[in-house]
Amino acid sequence: MRALLVARKDLAVELRTKESLNAAGAFAVVILLLFSFAFDPGPEMIHEIGGGLLWLVFVFAGALVFNRGFARELPNDCLDTLLVSPLSAADLILGKAISNFLLLVVVELISLFVFGIFYSVRWAVRPWELALLFLLATWGISILGSVFGALTVNLRLRELMVPVIIYPLLIPLLIATIELTNLLLTNQPLTASDFLWVKIIVVFDLVFTALAVLLADTILVG
Amino acid sequence: MREKVAIGSAVAAAGLLTYNLYRMFMVLPDEALQGAIYRILFFHAPAALVGMVGYFVALTFSILYLSSKNFLYDSLAASLVEVSLVFSVVNIVTGSIWARIIWGIWWTWDYRLTSALVCILIFFGYLIMRRAIDEPTQRARLSAALCIFGCVDVVIVYKSIEWFRNQHPGPVLDFRTGGGHMDPAMQTVFGLSFLAILLIALSLVLIRTRQEALAREIDSLRRLAHTAA
Amino acid sequence: MDARNFTFMFYGFLAAWLIVLLYVIVLARRGARLKKELEDVKRIAGEHEHADRH
Repeated sequence: MRALLVARKDLAVELRTKESLNAAGAFAVVILLLFSFAFDPGPEMIHEIGGGLLWLVFVFAGALVFNRGFARELPNDCLDTLLVSPLSAADLILGKAISNFLLLVVVELISLFVFGIFYSVRWAVRPWELALLFLLATWGISILGSVFGALTVNLRLRELMVPVIIYPLLIPLLIATIELTNLLLTNQPLTASDFLWVKIIVVFDLVFTALAVLLADTILVG
Repeated sequence: MREKVAIGSAVAAAGLLTYNLYRMFMVLPDEALQGAIYRILFFHAPAALVGMVGYFVALTFSILYLSSKNFLYDSLAASLVEVSLVFSVVNIVTGSIWARIIWGIWWTWDYRLTSALVCILIFFGYLIMRRAIDEPTQRARLSAALCIFGCVDVVIVYKSIEWFRNQHPGPVLDFRTGGGHMDPAMQTVFGLSFLAILLIALSLVLIRTRQEALAREIDSLRRLAHTAA
Repeated sequence: MDARNFTFMFYGFLAAWLIVLLYVIVLARRGARLKKELEDVKRIAGEHEHADRH
């Protein structure tokens, strides 16, 4: 699939310099550190708000990754070259989304590791469910990040625009994910009503991926 | 012709509102539990409805723009979002003032207020993005895309926040259940209030659309003048 | 309770009207500015056309 080609190219570029990864990873660690000063949390507090803290960190760090995504293609007319190539706009956006997704997952793993150490949280109590949740939610964030990275690539104040536009749109996904993360981190059983959250995340992912593919031409080409 | 409709609806709205205010204060009794303040509902709820309807009509025009590339649809969509935003703010502010008396707090994170706030943020982002793009075709195209994403998200936002919170009192007038607990006299005032606010919104949208068209005309004349120079 | 109730009801109405009024004022000012800009640009475009012809 051609989107995978785009993803491979992006990952190759990123792994050579690791600039986004370093920036996002460092940012995540700093936020986790600052939080300990801001709130000096005990174990009960961490149980209540651990999920929220983690996902806010991921979303903010993600913004650093998305901003680079399409902006990297601007010098030397790389973006125009990609657009006139046989690649469709949808391939381009999906490819960027896949590479952003993988980068964000790496940042998340680093953050989880640090979080576990700083706050003495055993986050791997329900590893498979947590992994599935993280993958689903991270895809939702990545696809929106890529779409709006593409949309704002030629705008002034691009770095400001992406957060302002994406964060409100992500709210339903974040609510669902944070709820489930809190439950999984504290090893509580998932009731039937909790599966509503899973449904929200899945619906969010499906709907916005479909919209991204449908509107890719409109956003990138015109 | 459009100007006549704008002025006409504004005048009709003014008339309706005056009549309504008379009925609100002179004819309707105070509500048993809430006292006088329930009358805010006659502005609060119609503003919310007009706001919501406005966003989805803007969605329709955005899709129409993408299929026809006619700038009129872009102007209408942008105007609708702007006016709907104004009425959404009215909704939140009046709701907050009502809540201060009834619930004792200015704000609470119940699902309707939170969803309304998220909507405002989404479409405020739309307006900010429009201002950042100078080129009309690009602006229209990207605005349409953002409007589509925004409106789809609004639906998901409402449902998810509803599941998340539950503090707002049950709806006094619930169209879905086909009835309400509202006294019939109040229902008429409510309906007329909704009509009046709708007419005001219509008038504002038409004026704003005209301004968008004017801005585009200026832009193209300016380009003409520059190329001639 | 009732006096405060009335005061806040009044504030509520005031807030609703004020917000809409503010927006109308913003629209009016934008309209005036656009009209002025249109006249300016028409004048400039007219001058250039005039200069082209001679």
